[in-house]
Amino acid sequence: MFKKILIANRGEIAVRILRACRELGIQTVAVYSDVDRASLHVRLADEAYHIGPAPSRESYLRIDKLMDVAKKSGCDAVHPGYGFLAENPALPRACVHAGLTFIGPSAEAMEAMGSKTAGKQLARRAEVPTVPGTSEPVENSEEAQALAQNMGYPILLKAIAGGGGKGMRVVPNDAAFAGAWRDAASEAMNAFGDPRVFIEKYLVGPRHIEIQIFADVHGRCVSLGERECSVQRRHQKVVEEAPSPVVTPELRRKMGEAAVRLGRAGGYTNAGTVEFLVDADLNFYFLEVNARLQVEHPVTEQVTNLDLVKLQIAIAAGHRLPFAWETITPRGHAMEVRLYAEDPDNNFFPSPGKIISRHAPTGPGIRLDEGVYEGWTVPMDYDPLLSKLIAWGNSREETIARLRRALDEYTIMGIRTNVSLFRRILTDPEFVRGEIHTKWLDEVLARPRPPAVPPLQGTEQAVLIAAALWHSTSSDHASPGSAGPQSSPSRWKMEGRRQHMDHKP
Amino acid sequence: MKFEIELSGPDGKKKHGLEFERKADASSVTIDGKAMNADAVQVSPNAISVLLEGQSFEIHLTRSIDGKIKLRCGPHEFSAEVIDPRAWRGRKHGAMEVEGRQEIVAPMPGKVVRLLVAAGDAVGAGQGLLVVEAMKMQNEIRSPKNGRVERMIAKEGQAVNAGEVLAWVE
Repeated sequence: MFKKILIANRGEIAVRILRACRELGIQTVAVYSDVDRASLHVRLADEAYHIGPAPSRESYLRIDKLMDVAKKSGCDAVHPGYGFLAENPALPRACVHAGLTFIGPSAEAMEAMGSKTAGKQLARRAEVPTVPGTSEPVENSEEAQALAQNMGYPILLKAIAGGGGKGMRVVPNDAAFAGAWRDAASEAMNAFGDPRVFIEKYLVGPRHIEIQIFADVHGRCVSLGERECSVQRRHQKVVEEAPSPVVTPELRRKMGEAAVRLGRAGGYTNAGTVEFLVDADLNFYFLEVNARLQVEHPVTEQVTNLDLVKLQIAIAAGHRLPFAWETITPRGHAMEVRLYAEDPDNNFFPSPGKIISRHAPTGPGIRLDEGVYEGWTVPMDYDPLLSKLIAWGNSREETIARLRRALDEYTIMGIRTNVSLFRRILTDPEFVRGEIHTKWLDEVLARPRPPAVPPLQGTEQAVLIAAALWHSTSSDHASPGSAGPQSSPSRWKMEGRRQHMDHKP
Repeated sequence: MKFEIELSGPDGKKKHGLEFERKADASSVTIDGKAMNADAVQVSPNAISVLLEGQSFEIHLTRSIDGKIKLRCGPHEFSAEVIDPRAWRGRKHGAMEVEGRQEIVAPMPGKVVRLLVAAGDAVGAGQGLLVVEAMKMQNEIRSPKNGRVERMIAKEGQAVNAGEVLAWVE
């Protein structure tokens, strides 16, 4: 087993990985940019090293600096997390060169499967059904537009190196082509350092269902079942669940076999996700492989009772997958919502800033994977994912009720979050019935907003009382952005305290 | 103790009168002339638990940039401006005069795009000192008082974090 692991990431996933390492008795090394000195992953790690300024191209994407840190600190393995360099074959190559184990697939498997066009070619060879489209990156805009016209609109432009909806554009008609091409390419360049884009026919109203696979270095490859991630806002997953409300045991077996076939064909090792689009008749089409751990891996963990990060580490260390896992079936139901620092009332604008106060939900069936804390300033330089709130239960109904309960308990003051979006999704009758597809959320958001639930009788009076109390305890230092009232006693506060005491038995 | 509170919330904006008193074994509060049994306890620096006629409410509070109190109760948001009886003496309503050297701090992370004044300049209360761009919005940071710019710490083009000191006004 490894002695020390470099975590080449930040935020909640860096925290998730270092927790697994700690449980395994492995030392952790974190890296951070100028704006992440006070971030949770740095605070929790055994060692942490500065790797550059805030822009990720000068810090978290610098392989040379990461290798320096790994060598200097005596690491024997590197975990890339997701995003940043997780799907860049240059990182596993650099690791091999430096004598480090990369916790993930080999550079060759990443190239054979991770890039969208290569993955599609491999899928065709492995007899996994695919969506019609180009299997090569298209070199220039004119050639691409001609192809799009042949295929018939709507079409989808996707970054070769992409993921997470970046560098992706739906083109509804010919007139919109040129602008969309330019945006997709420049977004891809900024996010991944690779502007190449390819074209795909755009299916109307499909579900997004993906299979989690795991492959060891001894030739065993297994499926850990599906996750449904159809609730997306502009191609970005927002809610994920396992199992899917529509997948039957028969379909699960067929999709699992297809995914495993693909993994074997690509010589894949470690954790990977094979994404499919599923149409109304439950036909499935290969979409792409994510050659890394997924953001939404916790829902699979909750229904399989496995720790996927520990499993990744064990496989990278050469351990074998047990035979029994070839017939793993999900137990119960799990669902995850992605809480972002963004304002749903203002076009989902990012809302960085200081978290002045925070109350996190707990209790049965609730898990919170996050990299935030009270008093931390959410930097404006990275993806604004704050927390992943995960609930599980015996049924989908119980799971949804738990998530709603947990969201009611969850309070963050100081920055805006998208909590209200989830209140809306989780009470929507279509969502509750499982009638969702990849365009569903965009359609819901285009509808007039349902009337807000009026506050309970008495809310306004309670708020007035709170305002008066808080004012009287904090008026001496009414400075903006301050963390709260000082402890200087006021008559009101003393009064409140005394009453509280009086009421105790 | 008496308070006058201007509250904005889901039902619009309205002024309320609130009076708090303590009786033998229960506390009562009078809101807009109506007496109610109430108990309020500060449970954390930014949260107050209110029991109103037995009903339990949890209110989360922060100070907003304009000095008002932002409150949240479940999904509902409110903004309150409290006119404190203690603050009444001799103060002009709405325009509090601040004394002494004031630190001008960035209200949110962003980038300084323009300086409007330089060290040594005389400034009036409410006059723009500099412009900070955050999330593609330009925000003018204003002087809280009449005085003189003692130091201009921020530089054009500089990235600033929330709470970072930009200038001193004396």
